[in-house]
Amino acid sequence: MTARWLPAASALLALALTLALAAVALALGGYPPIEAFGALVRGALGSPSAILSITLVRTVPLLLTGLAVALAFRAGVWNIGAEGQFYAGAVAAVWMGLQVGGWPVWIAVPSVLLAASVAGAAWAAIPALMKLRLGVGEVITTLLLNFVAIDLSAWLVHGPLQEPRGVFPQSESIAEVAQLPLLIPGTRLHVGFALALVLAVVLAFVMRSTRAGFFVRAVGASPDAARVAGRVRVARVVGAAFLVSGALAGLAGGVEVAGVTYALYEDLSPGHGYTAIAVALLAGLHPIGVVGTAFLFGVLEGGASSMQRIAGVPAAWVNGIQALVILSVLVVDRVVRHGWVAGGRDG
Amino acid sequence: MLSTSRARRALRTIGMVTTVALFTACGGDVGEDGASGDAGGEAEASFRVALLTSGPVSDAGWYAGAYEGLLAIRDSLGAEVSHQQTRTPAEFDEAFLAYGSEGYDLVFAHGSEYQDAAMRAGPRFPEMSIVVSGGGQVGANVVPLIFTLWEGSYLAGMVAGGMTESGIIGMVGGVATPPAQGTFRAFEAGALAVRPDATVLEVFIGSWDDVAAAKEAAVAQIERGADVVIHNTDGASFGVFQAVREATEGGAQTWAIGMNRDQNDIAPEVTLGSAVIEIPYAFLQVARAWQAGSLGGQPVYEGFREGVVDFVPNPARIDRIPAELLDRVRAAGDSIRAGTLEVPGIDYVEGEAG
Repeated sequence: MTARWLPAASALLALALTLALAAVALALGGYPPIEAFGALVRGALGSPSAILSITLVRTVPLLLTGLAVALAFRAGVWNIGAEGQFYAGAVAAVWMGLQVGGWPVWIAVPSVLLAASVAGAAWAAIPALMKLRLGVGEVITTLLLNFVAIDLSAWLVHGPLQEPRGVFPQSESIAEVAQLPLLIPGTRLHVGFALALVLAVVLAFVMRSTRAGFFVRAVGASPDAARVAGRVRVARVVGAAFLVSGALAGLAGGVEVAGVTYALYEDLSPGHGYTAIAVALLAGLHPIGVVGTAFLFGVLEGGASSMQRIAGVPAAWVNGIQALVILSVLVVDRVVRHGWVAGGRDG
Repeated sequence: MLSTSRARRALRTIGMVTTVALFTACGGDVGEDGASGDAGGEAEASFRVALLTSGPVSDAGWYAGAYEGLLAIRDSLGAEVSHQQTRTPAEFDEAFLAYGSEGYDLVFAHGSEYQDAAMRAGPRFPEMSIVVSGGGQVGANVVPLIFTLWEGSYLAGMVAGGMTESGIIGMVGGVATPPAQGTFRAFEAGALAVRPDATVLEVFIGSWDDVAAAKEAAVAQIERGADVVIHNTDGASFGVFQAVREATEGGAQTWAIGMNRDQNDIAPEVTLGSAVIEIPYAFLQVARAWQAGSLGGQPVYEGFREGVVDFVPNPARIDRIPAELLDRVRAAGDSIRAGTLEVPGIDYVEGEAG
């Protein structure tokens, strides 16, 4: 039996180990760890403005992509393509956001977010079809499609979607009515945050208390058993999980564009779609848990910038430390849940 | 199923590792403390200057120049400085917000990608001045900083026109942005001023850092007869120098010209000179202008006249350039300085006459 205190203990311990390893790395680089961590905490949690305008804003894309990954993984769909679906959503949101000038906000904003979700789902439909029709493994296809999406968006900001003067590699800003309203005036926190929270709750409810959620869990646990014993149409469930996962990741891209950057750029995502995997796994693939882990990574990312600004730690070190954090979190989580045994089975 | 005792054991082991690591880190801290001489924390520092880059300041080029500029402002003007490398556009607004709320006086946003976020942050933090390198929009406290590199590029073109034997000159560009295209228009004009029948080949490889693509492009131009090749890229420039060096080693004397910074030491045996921007000097001048209260409301042009842009002949090969040609180049430089020679460039600041 799994003890109830284990997940929480695991998360806390992962945090402690991570901080300790990061402290060693910082000290080796000649940066006082205490000062650096002080900067991290101050930058991410040190003031209401830091929490609302920095940390929570950064939590949003991680939360939405985290939900996308959690749902897919629950269904046994190894969607490594949230990154590409994020870009597909961002591109569609910008395209739609440029068309809706003059529309009322309550139509413009949903149109933009809908376009983003549809684009994310469409991008996920490619590997879904390849898996279901041709039996091609989705780990490779989703991963490779990330690069296609990233390069496609880079091409778009140098070509068809470039701002009208053709000077800068970015799109024009989307119409003002398409920009997400602020949740709290005077901050940068937009309604995308509330939307993401609602979606987390909805997804948790669906997974726990509905037929569809039961099918997803059954297929994820054992497709064969679900087919034979439960008469579940496995292909349908897999396809649906794929599409909804893609839609969530696409929505993340749309929300980021409509709520934060207002325009399409190259390198729009620092790898949210990959961090999302850590976010989802650490949460035990539970939607409500994802809210917590996404916030944790939001703190980390917001604080990382502040480590550069206040403590003078160079970006390369900060990025390295972030990678270290993700790695150690996953390792500790795995070890605590499954022990040291090599190849311990999935939960 | 997993057993609680096994999990307990795992937790205990990890706890031990954590403790040891913490002790190591704190122990290491004591010895290293004096080594970090960054972030001048003098209490009386009242001038606070920040730099934003979207690439690493270890690039030995565009970003490194900006960081040197920041350090020069710290050392010469006693400013308290800070630097952040942003990873994505989503971090732009956040960075301005952070520096604005921390009371910074002057922020250098080193790239045109920051301009939209800068225009949003400007009204929000009226006390803070934002300087956008290569920016295209002007606000009350948002100032585009334009390096008129085309002036140096024009002089480089004159040298190329004078040195080519085949009459064919190659230009390898990174991304076809107006600033990059502007340097090539000026280069072309300079070459034609000296050799009116010259043919100029132009290619943009679509990347600032793709060394292999730059080399391929330069080789193609050399095969079409180009015997002088200039580039306007960042890290990719090594490919151009390599191509030129290999062509020369193969028996066909070919020359390269550097751009953006003094690159005369990359392949000194085949390099004629470099069109350079002294970014640190430009930053220092902008910071001084801020202190004097004369910064704001209009773009800042830093170029030949200000001593920021120049053409620097390669000292190792200056003997191969005819003295008469060098004199002509110098005379042209004087005319630019005096304002009597208008070099073609591309102006992209909104609302400014071209």
